[in-house]
Amino acid sequence: MRRKGWRLSARRVGLYAFLLISAAFFLLPLYVMLVTSFKDMSEVRLGDLLSLPAAPSVGAWVKAWTTACTGLTCNGIQVGFWNSMRILVPSVVVSIAVGSVTGYAMSLWRPRGATLLFGIVMSVAFVPYQVFLYPLVRLFSFAGLNSSLPGIITVHTIFGLPTMTLIFRNYFASVPIELFKAARVDGAGFWRIFTSVMLPMAVPIITVAVILQVTGIWNDFIFGLVFAGRENFPMTVQLNNIVNSTQGEREYNVDMAATMLTALVPLAVYFISGRWFVRGIAAGAVKG
Amino acid sequence: MAGVRVSTLTKAYGPLTVLQDISIEVAEGEFTVLLGPSGCGKSTLLNAIAGLDEVDGGTIEIAGQDVTDLEPAQRGIAMVFQSYALYPTMTVRGNLSFGLKVKGSPRAEIESRVAWAADLLQITPLLDRKPGQMSGGQRQRVAIGRALVQKAKLFLFDEPLSNLDAKLRTEMRVEIKKLHKELGLTIVYVTHDQIEAMTLATRIAVMKGGRIEQYAAPDELYERPETLFVAGFVGAPAMNFLPGMYRGGAIEIDGVRIPAGALELRGPVADGTKVVLGVRPEHIGLVADGALGESVAAEAQFMEPMGADTLGWFTMGSHRVSVRLAPQRARGVTGNVDLALDLSLASLFNATTERRL
Repeated sequence: MRRKGWRLSARRVGLYAFLLISAAFFLLPLYVMLVTSFKDMSEVRLGDLLSLPAAPSVGAWVKAWTTACTGLTCNGIQVGFWNSMRILVPSVVVSIAVGSVTGYAMSLWRPRGATLLFGIVMSVAFVPYQVFLYPLVRLFSFAGLNSSLPGIITVHTIFGLPTMTLIFRNYFASVPIELFKAARVDGAGFWRIFTSVMLPMAVPIITVAVILQVTGIWNDFIFGLVFAGRENFPMTVQLNNIVNSTQGEREYNVDMAATMLTALVPLAVYFISGRWFVRGIAAGAVKG
Repeated sequence: MAGVRVSTLTKAYGPLTVLQDISIEVAEGEFTVLLGPSGCGKSTLLNAIAGLDEVDGGTIEIAGQDVTDLEPAQRGIAMVFQSYALYPTMTVRGNLSFGLKVKGSPRAEIESRVAWAADLLQITPLLDRKPGQMSGGQRQRVAIGRALVQKAKLFLFDEPLSNLDAKLRTEMRVEIKKLHKELGLTIVYVTHDQIEAMTLATRIAVMKGGRIEQYAAPDELYERPETLFVAGFVGAPAMNFLPGMYRGGAIEIDGVRIPAGALELRGPVADGTKVVLGVRPEHIGLVADGALGESVAAEAQFMEPMGADTLGWFTMGSHRVSVRLAPQRARGVTGNVDLALDLSLASLFNATTERRL
């Protein structure tokens, strides 16, 4: 019976062929980027995209990190990296903190028409951001927040809230109401229940929230460009500046290395949190 | 002193009235069971007593104190839930001590109470486990332990055994009864399982449609049900109902006159009253076996063996009646037989008001 599953049928060959081609399709650009970033310019000039570097060197990576020019300053993409970190950490923490509390409150608050209201709140999550740019810039100028770190953090928090509220509300809504009642009988109030009972149960959904927010905020370009200000441009904006600033020869190897560096953070988040994610889902059943 | 006194309690969800003018008193040390089908308001009443649901009218007193407007934690209650509702991220010890910690009890006090409850429920070896690593029965013990450590004036149980399998349920039933007896707890317990109600309660309140139909000791409830609903709901196999007409000291059922002299009636019944005669299966026997009571002709239909006894189904005119028979005896019963209805243990209801006559 079991052997049947292993037989190399035409169907299975087709399936594997498809999978291999798909994998190659997505891996090929990555491969090109990697090999190019380890070549020096004399080798890049030969134009052989697919060849392995003859003399692999990390020179391009070092240059991308430390001395690549973004416009007039030449301090490498590290400036962008640290800017992104300064934007990312507070934005993720604040948006998840606020989103989990609002989601918790909304999971308990179920008046007539709550579903409709919630739907409306949610639809905001799907409105194109560009619509908000101009009004927000005016508003922030008025409030003195424009082109500043607090400004960009505020923007990321606000735009993260609908999604954060949604996922936390749905998660907490699935927690049996009796658990909440038990905690009330035990004398715990709104905040005590949240911190002692609900939040420890929410590890899986917090992981999801972290993945969503870290990748979303790290990959953001337009908010960073508009709201962060010249001093705080995030890595994505800096990368664009490096790639687009042409002074003499275009250094493809440095561009590739800079791009890889920029992509490392979301990649790391997926790899690290993926395990946590599965572990979180498997644990913590309430009743059996 | 009363453990709980509920007076003229009402509650509605929009147009739907779930509690209608409920008044009930639970004496200190009493074990009251709220029994009824789903949607009868029994859980709502329990939640109202706990303070988890707000009420629209009426008052609730616990141990002589008006708690109608107090938070659950201020009412001196502890509660056990159907789904156990243990905090999944805390150990058993954490679960037991959480309430005391929130209330700011001194550490030594918390430890001694947890140790006491764990010892009482034999869950001491489980203290460092989490709920996810325990069986249903163990979780239920922990849930009861979490209530016990509170040393509350009143313990509320919301269908605590519904999620357990039949064997464990019987075990836990005995356990709860023992705890009640040994610790002298005042308990209000909600269930839809009449066996649980009959075995545990000192008094049972049968509820239907947001009202209390009857509030009495289990024996009283079984032997002298106040309404047709209580008569039908309590007892398995269910009571036989024979609709007829009361005339001249007898009940006419399908033209057959059954003298009602042996019936215990509360007062005179007017001739021509439409009535329902209720007889439990164990109060009907075979005339051939020398069973006492009014003799009625019937025809055997089929037998349902239930182990300890066999339920015999007969037709009497257009009505079907069930009779509890000894298994050995039941095997030989076929065709036309004479049944004896022991009316001294039967109930008579007014068919229109559905109340006991």
